[in-house]
Amino acid sequence: MSDSSSPSNASPSLAPRIQDRTVGPGRLLTLRTSVDDVVSFRGSFVTHPDFAAGDALRQQLTVSLLDKGTEHRDRFELARVLEACGATLDLSSDGLFVEMSGRALVDDLPRVMAVAAEMLRAPAFDPEEFRKARAQVAADLQRRMEKTSAQASTALSQRLFPEGHPNYSPAPETVLEWLQGLTVQDVRDYHEAHFGSNEWTLAAVGDLRHDAVASVVSETFTGWAPHDAPAVHDPNAASAEVGRTTVPMPDKSNVDVRLGHAVPIRRDHDDYPAFYVGNYILGGNFAARLMSTVRDEMGLTYSIRSSLSGVSTRHVGSWQTSVTLSHDAVDEGIAATTDVIREFVAEGATAEELDAKKTTITGSYSVGLATTERLAQSILTNAERGFDVSYLDGFPEEIRALTLDEVNAAIRDYLDPEAIQEALAGTRPSPVEATAGA
Amino acid sequence: MTETIPAPPRDLPAAVDFQEASDGIECYRLSTNGLRVLLLPQDGAPVATSMVTYHVGSRNERTGHTGATHMLEHLMFKGTERYHKRKGTSIFETLQSVGAKVNASTWLDRTNYYEMLPTEHLPLALDIEADRMRGALIDAEDVEDERTVILNERDRNQNDPVSRLLDEVWGAAFVAYPYHHPTIGWKSDIERITPDGLREYYDTFYWPDNATLSIVGQFDRGETLAEVAQHFGDIGSAPHEIPQVTTEEPEQSGPRRVTVRQDGQLGAVLMGFKSPPALEADSDVLDVLARILASGKSSRLFRRCTDRGLTSDVFGINFRLRDPGLFSVFAYLAPDQDHQTVEDAIHETIQDVQENGITQEELDRARSQLRAQIAFDRDGPMRVASQLNEALAAGDWKLYTQYLDRLDEVTAEDVQRVARTYLTRDRVTIGRYVPTS
Repeated sequence: MSDSSSPSNASPSLAPRIQDRTVGPGRLLTLRTSVDDVVSFRGSFVTHPDFAAGDALRQQLTVSLLDKGTEHRDRFELARVLEACGATLDLSSDGLFVEMSGRALVDDLPRVMAVAAEMLRAPAFDPEEFRKARAQVAADLQRRMEKTSAQASTALSQRLFPEGHPNYSPAPETVLEWLQGLTVQDVRDYHEAHFGSNEWTLAAVGDLRHDAVASVVSETFTGWAPHDAPAVHDPNAASAEVGRTTVPMPDKSNVDVRLGHAVPIRRDHDDYPAFYVGNYILGGNFAARLMSTVRDEMGLTYSIRSSLSGVSTRHVGSWQTSVTLSHDAVDEGIAATTDVIREFVAEGATAEELDAKKTTITGSYSVGLATTERLAQSILTNAERGFDVSYLDGFPEEIRALTLDEVNAAIRDYLDPEAIQEALAGTRPSPVEATAGA
Repeated sequence: MTETIPAPPRDLPAAVDFQEASDGIECYRLSTNGLRVLLLPQDGAPVATSMVTYHVGSRNERTGHTGATHMLEHLMFKGTERYHKRKGTSIFETLQSVGAKVNASTWLDRTNYYEMLPTEHLPLALDIEADRMRGALIDAEDVEDERTVILNERDRNQNDPVSRLLDEVWGAAFVAYPYHHPTIGWKSDIERITPDGLREYYDTFYWPDNATLSIVGQFDRGETLAEVAQHFGDIGSAPHEIPQVTTEEPEQSGPRRVTVRQDGQLGAVLMGFKSPPALEADSDVLDVLARILASGKSSRLFRRCTDRGLTSDVFGINFRLRDPGLFSVFAYLAPDQDHQTVEDAIHETIQDVQENGITQEELDRARSQLRAQIAFDRDGPMRVASQLNEALAAGDWKLYTQYLDRLDEVTAEDVQRVARTYLTRDRVTIGRYVPTS
């Protein structure tokens, strides 16, 4: 393929190579790389669900019906277009956004974009397909109910966030009940009220010509109107009393444990990078303190890590530690984990740890951008946050510039062992009652 | 698509012999110890993947030592004299501190250790892999710590009824061949295996002439080969013949059934049909058949089962292994559906292929999907390394480079023939997951 700008591998800089333009009703970001034939794409628009009113489920069901037929083609015709060229196209519900992502050989991009636009803009919402999609969502929920990890995460989310927050997960049993009450008209209404070109952004990366992608996107998405739904989500955390929720699940050999609390800052807060690095030192990877102590030295778990979860520029999120423990190691494992966290907050990170994690984070950042898929995802996420394209190159610099004082101050300010909530799911040797508060 | 470079690259280090090339991948061998080296230089981001594949998997384990391959994989991260936590140079810490994505995996036919990292740090990855090829400490205290970690890993797997179902079906399908036991091992073996037992296993299989080093990404060929020769060249080759698995699975002469009962919500069915070794041409045909049966909404099982509300998901997987494996159809039952109805629907669908064959359109669609998948799998060094790893495990790395040519040979008649040959009721093991809640 020929293009005005050839792919450059000498410099890792991304921003100068990304073309950022308005196309039709949205924003298009394209990056050409040296991969052969392949283009990965990822796009999203804001839907503004009312989580407290159960819109997360309406949105999920609506999205699941998008590939089940449009006003112009039935579900098999749509599938044939994609499958005949081996392309993938996924539509998903992700909190405040609906996302679409996929991969195609470059010559097939026009037909894939045409299918994507048709699914988003003109779904048929056939009643028979609705019935099947509802059964499918019910089956997914039932499978989720079997997983200790999902049950523990759901339980913790309910201790940290109010029902109107995007990070709150209702109990699967409750969602199943809601699901039975939904009709195809609910889905049509949700699509009408919440689907549109609001903040519509598409990132495409790979063996592409910038102008060719722009004309395909223009052809398929021009005329897509925005919706009028206002942002109604609750951006703040709940203030629950510290305590533990236990989800008893019979017949499980392993207990999933989540420890965590809400974090009052958003992704664009000045302290975020310092807290991000601080958490990384605690539990970001295999060489971090939690893994090094609780798994490597004490042999108590196969997997333990801590992370900042669901922190956005639009709402607060949480700090969480996840650990899996066999029956007989639950109490010892939780105690050991808590000890590591307490010691970390009391004493702070060391200069050596900070130096090591700075190179880890900046190195893994560049390693993580080695595929077109990951590049498209990073470019889109950066745009969703409202950050300038230059931040894609500026992030490593931001990390390198952090001082030990800044990181330790962030740990002290935002990590509080006394505020940790607990959620456990699995089979305990002796039953533990679920507790609401303590 | 495939070609052989007629002349070897010039200025090779003395200890490096060029062997052959195929579709951009160059194969070398160290003359000092027989280590095979595969190089695939790529344009792209300045990162590279280094991977050592040892030609040992759980198929090589004997009774009482099941899980040894996997446990040894864990112990390989505990360190050597030079790279050890007590010196502040643990393998994970050393590699992750330069941004490497590092891990390992164990499977039936192989064990692999990999690092994806900025190219400037590739020599570090090579140094560590060379050092632990013969220098792993396998310390008794480390073995005890890791034993509980692995028991927890096993417990995690046991939480998942589908994981249990897979173990039960493979256990019933193979009565003699060591694909019978799960890669993680039986619990009693994990509990009892000794440091000496692991050391013996290590000394049996971890040698350069039983390994392949693959390097994929943006790197300089000459410099990298010199680094490889420097780090690996002095390691001695195995002082013994590497033991081979000689057991053959006896012919199966009737259907077998297993049932897993566990607390849960939705049932599942797994049907495993005895399939040929990965290198046989019929295995390519079974790949195509798996696509036709269960890939996408145009596939036969989607239309027959999921679209009609019998299943919530259905998959077709051709496990390509070094020795005969299982062609598998897996289905999650939809709520309120029973196992027999779903099994009958799967059998009917297979029977239709056996009796009436497939259409040219189905064959073309399956091939297009596989071709696109191959292009996608070249997107980034880690993906390529993963594919190469499985080809190496199957017995020939060129299975990866020649795959497209092999697919071109597949005809609609072939698909009908393999369905008749392999997907018979005498060769099947059927597993049911029955939720007890």
